[in-house]
This record gives sequence, structure tokens and C-alpha cells, in this order.
Amino acid sequence: MTVSRDELAAFADGELTGPRAREVEAALAADPSLMRDLERHRALKAQLSAHFDPIVDEPVPDALAALLRSAGDGPASNVVGFAEARERIAEKRRLPRWSWVAGPALAASLALVVLVPRGGDENEGYADARLAGLLDQRLVVEQRPGDATRVLLSFRDRAGVYCRAFSGRGGGGIACRDDAGWKLEATGEGAAGSRSEYRMAGADDAAILARAQALAEGGALDGEQETAARARGWR
Amino acid sequence: MLPRLRRFAIGLCGNPADGDDLCQTSLERALANRDKWRAGTRLDSWMYRIMRNLWIDQGRASARRRETFVEEDAGFAVGGEGAQEAAVELSMVDRAMQALPAEQREAVLLVMVEGYAYREAAEIAGCPVGTLNSRLVRGREALLAILGESA
Repeated sequence: MTVSRDELAAFADGELTGPRAREVEAALAADPSLMRDLERHRALKAQLSAHFDPIVDEPVPDALAALLRSAGDGPASNVVGFAEARERIAEKRRLPRWSWVAGPALAASLALVVLVPRGGDENEGYADARLAGLLDQRLVVEQRPGDATRVLLSFRDRAGVYCRAFSGRGGGGIACRDDAGWKLEATGEGAAGSRSEYRMAGADDAAILARAQALAEGGALDGEQETAARARGWR
Repeated sequence: MLPRLRRFAIGLCGNPADGDDLCQTSLERALANRDKWRAGTRLDSWMYRIMRNLWIDQGRASARRRETFVEEDAGFAVGGEGAQEAAVELSMVDRAMQALPAEQREAVLLVMVEGYAYREAAEIAGCPVGTLNSRLVRGREALLAILGESA
């Protein structure tokens, strides 16, 4: 087995996982020259750390601290405290209220990656056939943890339209049923364009749920309500 | 987070004075745009992205200045060799980093110093993961070549 330079670097950076990482470990054990290359990578990293890490322990210059104080958002030590605090509050606010229904779904989907049609689909702004099929049929209670795309919850918006929040491979979001199909009301970052790489789910699901909460009239549908809604084609 | 941002800024700029200036500009930009930060996304990535975008813009501007004032800059470097020797010794890493093209330097700092995963680093740099990876590989090879003998 050969280990490319790129792969060795990725290994040194902790980017290789699973079977391939173990194969590289085996190759390293068998090949002293490969091990020397790895040591060079590690030595370089140590050299960079030794050079740059002390900066973190230096006191922050007054001018920077003053800038934050003047922004009127709390103590300077809490750096961009304004946003961090907002993040914490927002997290607290959004999760508990939905957790009674969406908690299990969130817990089961730690490494999600989602699915939203990009531009160029024949029906832009609407769920594609695969997603629409899933939104038509799948009940929240029927899902299994390993499913590639999951429906997080269903609700009715202020106009009484059925909407469903979903998350999965390639993107996540909220789709609401109208005459033409499942119209995408909100999509996760996966659909935003340039950043199409895999993402961790947690934060995105939280954002999707927060949006669902903003759109919903009343709580999430329970199993019976979902079944009834499905029988009527979500109309 | 500010100390880490400062480390990144100084690494990008190559010296504390310019790094702190960049840090200041970045904070000002972040504060002015605080409404654009989306709750639920990572604040640190957002701040790093603001900083690197400012730095890239500044780099373009100063590259234009350098083209105009090459003679003057060359003049400053002449003389005082003895005094410079110690400083040069101390900043081998700085000099090696400054020898890298901007995007390679950024990739090396984000992954090897700031400890971001490739995916996160690519998001901050606004490029695909593959691009980030190849910048990192080239930057690292160049650093090994420059620093390797002394390491």
C-alpha cells in the first residue's frame, strides 16, 4: 500500500479517519522513511506552535479592548461578547420549546448533511421529486436514525398551510405544500450556494427549527394529525 | 476569542503592529455588521472570515503600492547588518511564512496554527476543500524546504 504526500499530511492534521487512518498507521509502522516524513510534518507544526501560540497569552492591546468597550456591549474581556451572548440566548430560546417533539430527531442526526435542489431544476424553488416524495409520505414517527433525509417535524402556518421541516444530505429547510408542490420556504446553508460542503447538523437544525417556530401557528403536529394530513395530501 | 484572532492577524501580516491594525479594522467591521451574523452559525468562523477578507483586500492595495515604491523599500533594507542579525535569527518562521503566497500562508495558519479542520478552514477562506488542501500541501512543502534544515 502506498501513502501519498497529501494523505500523509492529512493524517498528520488528523483529517483521516476510519479504516484508511488505520491503514496509514500500519504503513507508517512498516516504513521508517514514511515515519520520518511524518515526523517532519509534526516538527513543523511544533515549530509553528512554538512561534505563534505565545501571542495568545499576551495581553490584548488597549486600543482593541477599548474598541469593544466603546461598542457598549459589555466587558472587553468577553471579546465579541455581543454576539456570543446573543448566540447563547438564541440557543436557549429555541431548543427547549421544540425539544419535546424534535429532540429525538436531533439526537439521532448528529452528522447530518442535507439536500436541497440547486438552481437549474425544472421547478426552481420547489422540492425536487425525491424530496417531494419523502415529504408526501414520510411520517416523523416512521423514521429510522440512519435515514439520509429526515423530516424533523410538521406544522401549519398562519394561513393553515401544511409545512414540514426536513434535514438531510445536501441541505435542509422548510417546505410548505401549495398547488404546485412543496415550496421551499427556508433552506439551510447547504443551499446558499458557494458553501456546498458537508456540515455538522446541530446548529443548522436548530436554525431550521427556529425558523419553523417563527412560521408555525400552534405547535408541531402529532402522529395522528400527521397521518390525517398525509391522507388528505397535506392540503 | 480576541487573543486567537490576534494570533491569526499577526501570522497573516507577519508582525504585531500590522497584525493589531488588522485586528482593529476587523473588529470595527464586525461591530458595524453585527446584524449580519446569523445566530446558530459559528461566530469565530465569521470573525476569521471578516479578517481574512480585509487582509486579502489590503494585500491587493499594498501590492500596488510596492510596484510604485520599490526603490524606496530597497533603500530601507540597506545598512545596519549587525543589528539585524539577531532579529533575523528570531524570525526565521516569520520570514518563511512571509515567503509564502498569501493563500498558502492563510491555509497553513488556519489548519496548523488555529487548528481548524480542512472543511472549516475552507469555509473561512471561501474556497472548496480541495483547493484549501492543495494550498496547504504546497505551503507546507515550502515551509519544510525553508525551515527544514534548521528544524
